[in-house]
Amino acid sequence: MAVLSSRPFLTVAIVAAVWIAASFASRGFGAYGHLRYLVELGAVIGLVAAGQTFVVIAGGIDLSVAAIVTVSAISLPLLSWQADPTGLAPVLVVLALTTIIGLVNGLGVALLRVHPMIMTLAMATFLQGLLIIIAGGSAVTAENPLVHWLGNARPAGIPAGVLLWVAVSVIVLTVMHATPFGARIFAMGANPLAAALSGVPVTSTTLAVYGISGFTSGLAGVLVLGMNGQGYVGIGDPYLLASIAAVVLGGTSILGGLGTYAGTIPGAILLVTITALITVVNASPGWRSILFGSLILGLLLLSGREQARR
Amino acid sequence: MSTVSSARPAVALYWPVQARRNIGVRSLFVVVLAFLIAYGFLFPGLFSASGFAKFTQSWFPLALVAMAQAILMLTGGISLAIGATVSLGAVIAATTMAGPLGVTGGAAAVALTGLGIGAATGFIVVRLRLPAIVVTLAGSFIIGGAALLILPRPGGAIPEWLSDLLAGDTPTAFVLLIVIVLLWKLYLATPLGLSLYAAGENPVGAYRSGVPVDAARVAAYAISGLLSTGAGLFVAAQTGSGDPVIGAAFTLNSIAAAVLGGIGFLGGQGTMRGALAGSLLLSLMISVMFFLGFTPVAQYVAQGLIIIGAVAIPQFRKVQQ
Repeated sequence: MAVLSSRPFLTVAIVAAVWIAASFASRGFGAYGHLRYLVELGAVIGLVAAGQTFVVIAGGIDLSVAAIVTVSAISLPLLSWQADPTGLAPVLVVLALTTIIGLVNGLGVALLRVHPMIMTLAMATFLQGLLIIIAGGSAVTAENPLVHWLGNARPAGIPAGVLLWVAVSVIVLTVMHATPFGARIFAMGANPLAAALSGVPVTSTTLAVYGISGFTSGLAGVLVLGMNGQGYVGIGDPYLLASIAAVVLGGTSILGGLGTYAGTIPGAILLVTITALITVVNASPGWRSILFGSLILGLLLLSGREQARR
Repeated sequence: MSTVSSARPAVALYWPVQARRNIGVRSLFVVVLAFLIAYGFLFPGLFSASGFAKFTQSWFPLALVAMAQAILMLTGGISLAIGATVSLGAVIAATTMAGPLGVTGGAAAVALTGLGIGAATGFIVVRLRLPAIVVTLAGSFIIGGAALLILPRPGGAIPEWLSDLLAGDTPTAFVLLIVIVLLWKLYLATPLGLSLYAAGENPVGAYRSGVPVDAARVAAYAISGLLSTGAGLFVAAQTGSGDPVIGAAFTLNSIAAAVLGGIGFLGGQGTMRGALAGSLLLSLMISVMFFLGFTPVAQYVAQGLIIIGAVAIPQFRKVQQ
């Protein structure tokens, strides 16, 4: 019974219900290829939301994830080494760069005591300006074999991006629920003062949390670049609302201290399903935007209500 | 209750209370004043009638959205839909005012839309107990979508006389701002306004003392919506037409102005005069960067840095003490 009333299970049930209803309503929706494509798209949101889940559970919020995804997708094509045929080195450099961006967010929040929302929004503004200076308005094409493989290969019929998401999910869930670091994050989000007094290293934990968010957003940027083939300014924009919505739909409290990545995973798949359904409706951009916002609001009413605190 | 003897101390208390509220924003006022003087030296045109009018016009919409955000933050809420609401106000003004509704009807439509959107947002956040960040983020998609439906691409028109009145060579915007501030003072004296701070600082305690907490918070959202669409109307008058994404920058700027002005995220901390000073400071920075020839892109970068710096430095000093 505990499983039935848990929030992650509820979200999985909603996804299943929507998929079944949609495959009856529209032919082709329930085809294996289409569902696989949905999960592949969900992987990007899932990766961004992995870091976001850490940050939100720790009591913060990261509004710079969209900008970091764009940074990753734009700076990667600009780095190319002839000496490295695998393309691994540029990817590692980009991931290091986005992790550093995340760590700077963490520094601002932990040491300068800037509110997370201000710190990360200002970081997003800063990065947006920097990106236009670096890349201008034009799209850049990636010629990196590893990135191309990640976006297009299907070992054993499963997209490489999905495999990456599975691997990240296993690591995230282990770190979150089976390590002292994970326990510290929950403690910090529930009551930062009590956590600090009980010996949680608040500064380094905050740094780590935002660093993780920068890293997973960077990873999502690499994946989205591989799937698209091109990076451009604004490529990451859809992932800000999506990552926060996935976290909240998955039952994690936006106030921190309560939640799990196990809920965020079906939350991410739910979001791409909604987007796919809206695309099927074939409406104007205005109506699509309205439908997207309304459906998220409706789903929040179903599963995102703040639970009463113990 | 309201006998003469109990009213006397209340009057005597008014100025000490105001003085205490000023302590938090005194250093901010000094910084703003210093910036104003520097700006006046750099661009002496500020002291002519039209220069003053232009300056207040560039400040006015930012002041309105800063107030819109500050009201919410005082009650412990926040809105990430301010930018979209400004855009919606602008497109409604641009499509109705030149049409059969006329200026009065158009202004009424803008005001009612703002109040309606705000009240609906407030109802969802307060009564349905959903987190404000997520509701307003989803709301920004709905509101932005509505703006795109009304006016898919920049267009529409504002009657020329209205543009001249609001954004011409007369300081109408400044007069309007003073009127709005006076109305705010008046609102603070009503039961709902009195409940505002209590509802933000200690909602449970306020509720138990009989304060209409929910009503005060929903009213704050409604007023915030009204101020946002009002800012949209003004922006439309400034540019002479409507644009469905013109308000995008106002979301961050409204939060930045409120935080610069000393409004806290937890509710009940800060004053409206602080938020106004914060918006003035931000507007001065943007103007100075514009005059110094920064490209819009470099302005983004500088603005990000300035906001972090301005918020971090006072905090940092507090920690060290």
